[in-house]
Amino acid sequence: MKKLLALPLTFALAASALAACGPQEDSTSTGGKKEASSKKPEKLVIWEDQEKGMGTKDAIKKFEEKHGIKVELKEIPMLDQQEKLRLDGPAKKGPDVITTPHDRIGPLAIEGLIAPIEVSDDVTKLYTESSINALTYDGNLYGLPKSTETPVFIYNKKMMDKAPESLEDLMAFSKGDKGGAQYGYLANWTDFYFAHGVLSGFGGYVFKDDNGTLDPKDVGLANEGAVEGLDYITSWYNEGLFPKGIIGEKAGSTIDGLFTEGKAASVMNGPWSFQGYKDAGIDIGVAPMPKLPNGEYVKTFIGVKGYNVSAFSENQEWAAKLVEFITNEENSKVRYEKTAEIPPVVSLMEDPIIADNEAAKAVAVQSERGVPMPNIPEMAEVWAPAANALQLSATGKSKPQAALDSAVKTIGQNIEANHSK
Amino acid sequence: MTHRKTAALLSIIPGLGQFYNKQWVKGFVFLFLAACYFIAFLDFLNIGLWGIVTLGTEVPRDHSIFLLVNGVISLIVVAIGLGFYVLNFYDAYQNGNKRDMGLQLATLREQYHNVIDKGFPYLMVGPGFLLLVFVVIFPIIFMLLLSFTNYNLYNSPPNKLVDWVGFQTFIEMFTLDIWRETFISVFAWTIIWTFTATTLQIGVGIFLAVLLNQKDLKFKGLMRTLLILPWAVPAFVSILIFSGLFNDTFGAINNDILAAVGIDSIPWMTDPFYTKIALIFIQSWLGFPFVMAMTTGVLQSIPGELYEAATVDGASTWDKFRKITLPMILFTTAPILITQYTFNFNNFNVIYLFNNGGPAIPDQNAGGTDILISWIYNLTMTSAQYSKAAAVTVMLSIIIVSVSLFYFRKTKSFKDEGMI
Repeated sequence: MKKLLALPLTFALAASALAACGPQEDSTSTGGKKEASSKKPEKLVIWEDQEKGMGTKDAIKKFEEKHGIKVELKEIPMLDQQEKLRLDGPAKKGPDVITTPHDRIGPLAIEGLIAPIEVSDDVTKLYTESSINALTYDGNLYGLPKSTETPVFIYNKKMMDKAPESLEDLMAFSKGDKGGAQYGYLANWTDFYFAHGVLSGFGGYVFKDDNGTLDPKDVGLANEGAVEGLDYITSWYNEGLFPKGIIGEKAGSTIDGLFTEGKAASVMNGPWSFQGYKDAGIDIGVAPMPKLPNGEYVKTFIGVKGYNVSAFSENQEWAAKLVEFITNEENSKVRYEKTAEIPPVVSLMEDPIIADNEAAKAVAVQSERGVPMPNIPEMAEVWAPAANALQLSATGKSKPQAALDSAVKTIGQNIEANHSK
Repeated sequence: MTHRKTAALLSIIPGLGQFYNKQWVKGFVFLFLAACYFIAFLDFLNIGLWGIVTLGTEVPRDHSIFLLVNGVISLIVVAIGLGFYVLNFYDAYQNGNKRDMGLQLATLREQYHNVIDKGFPYLMVGPGFLLLVFVVIFPIIFMLLLSFTNYNLYNSPPNKLVDWVGFQTFIEMFTLDIWRETFISVFAWTIIWTFTATTLQIGVGIFLAVLLNQKDLKFKGLMRTLLILPWAVPAFVSILIFSGLFNDTFGAINNDILAAVGIDSIPWMTDPFYTKIALIFIQSWLGFPFVMAMTTGVLQSIPGELYEAATVDGASTWDKFRKITLPMILFTTAPILITQYTFNFNNFNVIYLFNNGGPAIPDQNAGGTDILISWIYNLTMTSAQYSKAAAVTVMLSIIIVSVSLFYFRKTKSFKDEGMI
């Protein structure tokens, strides 16, 4: 009896509830956003990378004085900001400006977490072309560059007088006396991030660059140049110059260990490693990467860190102004002095403050020779298959051509499976 | 019309049936609670139920994932409300029935004692159970529902809405070559891994516990302490250290241990076969102290008379172990041993930290030692395939739950009769 009664009642209740359901339609609520944003806000919030806040503080103070807007600076690890913005943004607790490495810009833009900004040509001309390209996705500029980094050649001055001109010289050195070290040169060339410079120096590419738009259907990692590059990389392993123990996940830390113990005379690594090497008591010299055997430069991946405007910000115009202000020439210089991160500001590259600093100069020069890491989301599918190919070739389990063919096939399948819109 | 029908019918508005039965206080409580329920939840239920059906209609106002969360909570709230509503009918009907049969209804005082005496366990368990619903059941339902959506990078709020796609995600798992082919080989290794690693850790654990339990053994405490150590050190740390020790060129295992006995370097990290051996060894090392500690406890509780009787009957040491010790151990610890198997089936830590599923193998999407969970982690985390991750998690859970249930029901430990 009770069941007989309860059932229709439940349905009636549910149906009536559903019919009246939904938020109150209010078509005017979404329209007024733009107008509100030009009004001067009381406060802007900026998320800065961890332990990098001191570089931005002065600029923020000046901005506060100039415009009378309070700016709150919070330090959050750069790679956590995306995740945090996803939750804090819709909850209206998010920042107006975030800091991101440029290769996340594609996914962030697709998810709608960051907003494009509009600045005049005078502003974009301040920065190197590659750094602006790196921050551009789908024809829109998403932020302005803060700093740039790329792997360079680092050597132990006790074991090497000066950086070699070419990798052939370096190979001869590694086969020779090695300056007393166990290894003349070590590079994590089974990690695609580091190996890319070689593959692309020989003529390989990740995605075909079509006037600034990357074509994810055209993967150039198995072309003639890429195979030649992998052949060259493999020769370092075959000659026994690179130990088999520096393959795979733990290779990076093993290389760092060998270099800081003085067992390796030189390594390929990025600016983030300088301080650690110095702390370990190594007298390091830094130079751009030596030339490849074919006379080309090593085209390393460039990473650009930038400030971006949150799509949840109610003051996007002012947030963009803040980004523009803290990345201008004067403030970039201050930040460089405080954090030693190199800003891709054209005029500063010639400034004695960078030009006379060996390490900074090396990174700046190498940055101009490199290519920006692709910022489209399809890039996520490249890392693992490419690393697989490098490993298989380095350990002699596959020939370079076969390894790269298989990688390109996997990349294509993954892109199809995960990125068909 | 009989009292029971009238009472039940009046209960459409909670409390009225009770009023009809002249149980004023109870009726008032029902009415009051119902009013509270609607006042507190009406808006929330409105948005929640609308949201879970549509997952939003308009960006950027609607955030599909938040709507889904709201919706799941709404469903739980509705279920609780319905339960309460049914109780209301049941109570009115039962009491109406009593009146029809001419019985005296319980007075307020008697009702109070009824609740306190008979309902005591429920009163105590109630709040905890409610908490459990929101902390445990809610995330499971959320994950389950997520697997029926198309939530991935290209359908992410706030820019896009998420839609219901039914079983499409599950179907894609088996129709897209890249998923299916790798799935099979990874699944095979997952099964092998689960059985060898777990069986080894259990075997070693029991063996050492029995050994340490010998009566005339000296320095028992010291040895036990030493053998517990692998458990005391966080697994996270041990695995990372092992990954250094096993390094092909620089690791101590190749350079010091194997070299000392004249064995050539073994490619622990670059050959899938040896990486698997290393992983199984490491997991046994990490897992045996727990089994050993547990077994030691069980051994203390086996009555000595059993062994004395066996000795009188002329049983050998091996007979005693096989016929008395082992069955007693397995009977007592079976549920926990089964969970050891399920734990290793999803043992993400050791695979991920040792070599991140490596080394590479040709023409495959996963590394040579990737088990399901680590493979899925890599695939989904790099490509933001949230709904696929949810779908695979659902499938993994089904496998684990069904296998565990099967064995839990088979073991004697869950039957009421004792061992002895």
